[in-house]
Amino acid sequence: MNRAAIVLICCAALRAEISTILVASASGPALDPAAVAWKAVPSVSLSLQRTPLLYATDQPATLQISAVQIQMVRAAGHVYARLEWQDRTRDSETLPKAERAWQGEHLVKQSGATDRFFDACALMIPAAASEVFPSLQMGDPEHPVQIYLWDATRGSAVMEAHGRETTRRTGKTFSSQSTWKDSHWAVVMELPELPSGTPVAVAIWNGDQQDRDGRKYFSVWHKTQ
Amino acid sequence: MSQHQISMVLDLNKCLGCQTCTMACKKLWTDGDGMDYMYWNNVETRPGQGYPRKWDKIGGGFENGQLRPSELPSKEDYGQTFEYNYTERLFEGGLQAMPQEEVRNTPNWDEDVGAMLLGENYYFYLPRLCNHCTNPACVAACPRNAIYKREEDGIVLVDQERCEGYRYCMRACPYKKIYFNELLGKAQKCIFCYPRIEKGEVKACAKQCPGRLRFVGYLDDPESAVHKLVHVYKVALGLFPEKGTEPNVFYVPPFNPPRQGNYGKSVLDDPRMPMDYLVYLFGEQVIEVIKRLEGELKKAQDGGHSDVLQLLIGRDAHVRYQVNRPELVHIQGVKKI
Repeated sequence: MNRAAIVLICCAALRAEISTILVASASGPALDPAAVAWKAVPSVSLSLQRTPLLYATDQPATLQISAVQIQMVRAAGHVYARLEWQDRTRDSETLPKAERAWQGEHLVKQSGATDRFFDACALMIPAAASEVFPSLQMGDPEHPVQIYLWDATRGSAVMEAHGRETTRRTGKTFSSQSTWKDSHWAVVMELPELPSGTPVAVAIWNGDQQDRDGRKYFSVWHKTQ
Repeated sequence: MSQHQISMVLDLNKCLGCQTCTMACKKLWTDGDGMDYMYWNNVETRPGQGYPRKWDKIGGGFENGQLRPSELPSKEDYGQTFEYNYTERLFEGGLQAMPQEEVRNTPNWDEDVGAMLLGENYYFYLPRLCNHCTNPACVAACPRNAIYKREEDGIVLVDQERCEGYRYCMRACPYKKIYFNELLGKAQKCIFCYPRIEKGEVKACAKQCPGRLRFVGYLDDPESAVHKLVHVYKVALGLFPEKGTEPNVFYVPPFNPPRQGNYGKSVLDDPRMPMDYLVYLFGEQVIEVIKRLEGELKKAQDGGHSDVLQLLIGRDAHVRYQVNRPELVHIQGVKKI
């Protein structure tokens, strides 16, 4: 990423209002995004920015999703985060499970498409308990991060990173549930217990806008309480 | 920069368009889930739409050192993958074997259509595979460093563990020779049969070629046919040199006799196909290459000996392939893995 782009990101971070996300307590797991219990949980609206174009060859993208609503509850040794955002298109597919086997007897499953991208969201937290905001660009060598990625088609994955281009899948997954209704995605992720004050940042990918990788919506860091 | 560069030269004058190379590759490498539409090696009729459709028109490669914009081809651009009504035809009294869906595009859709020049049809076959470029646009475009060029032989590979399926590589490749396996969420491409090369065996597409038009060896090995054809005899050119990726697959351009008569006449005076088209594919140098080949042909027709034509005949495997070259270690002073 060029220097101008980094400056742009920093400006976006300064401009955005830094809200504190209140973590409520609940009696039991709250994975269902449509559960009535979520209505009682305080919701914070995090404003989203588009990342600057990372490649000169990228098509410009408009700001279609201006904010994401986040709610967090602590229950049964976990923190549940519910993200809700408006998205006019549901970019998600049910793909057949593929085997990496070549030849053999099994019927070869056909690939669906080559040029579509799927909706996704992610929560980034510091890898070690810390109140310092790591770099928004996937952390930095002193402040590595963990990323809880949910993809509308491919499910969940825990990733870790210590700076741009270092993101790596850990092989772990986490529990999540999602709904898409009335042009809104609602996703609940089951995170590990987070100490009070842990900063979180959110990213949203809109498949319809060919979002993937660093082409996405992002929020700045927000503290939890 | 790789220490060695494996390379291929294809003599387009010998290509039959039989697709044996295509099937050799298909059976060996792209016979898995989500790979049905992929032909890492394909043969297309030129002039023609190509595979994927209009790949040569949708950008990619470099311009002034920067990646040029491009598009992702759709599945329909690659061509449909359909089944026939075998059960109905074979077991239920059906009269015709028909595709089970309306077919609007397939790989090789416009086979043998070509184009017209002065009321006469012309075309030739262009076998295509990953060019394992010296300056690969796919490597430059990948934000995850998932694509790499091997030191020992210059083969370009996609690390299937690092790849996240972002498809910047697909877009960047000016030859559109990277494919997306949506089921696995990974980019996949020709691997230059590296497991075979490591055992001193030639690529499957070359080995199976009935026309014996493929020459394989190390470009930096002075004894190899590819080195001689590219650097000594200078009769083989890469596709679209202006795209800046320095391809390592080279072609001996189609060299037809003049359209009418031939005695004492140059093909350039009365060509069977517009030279502009060959210039479009191979750059301005193609005219010099054709003159050079014409000179060699004249030499042979006059009873002389042409090393170039003798090599291009390539009757035996040992003439065409020099892949097992442990002596390169001594030539280059580099340990070959």
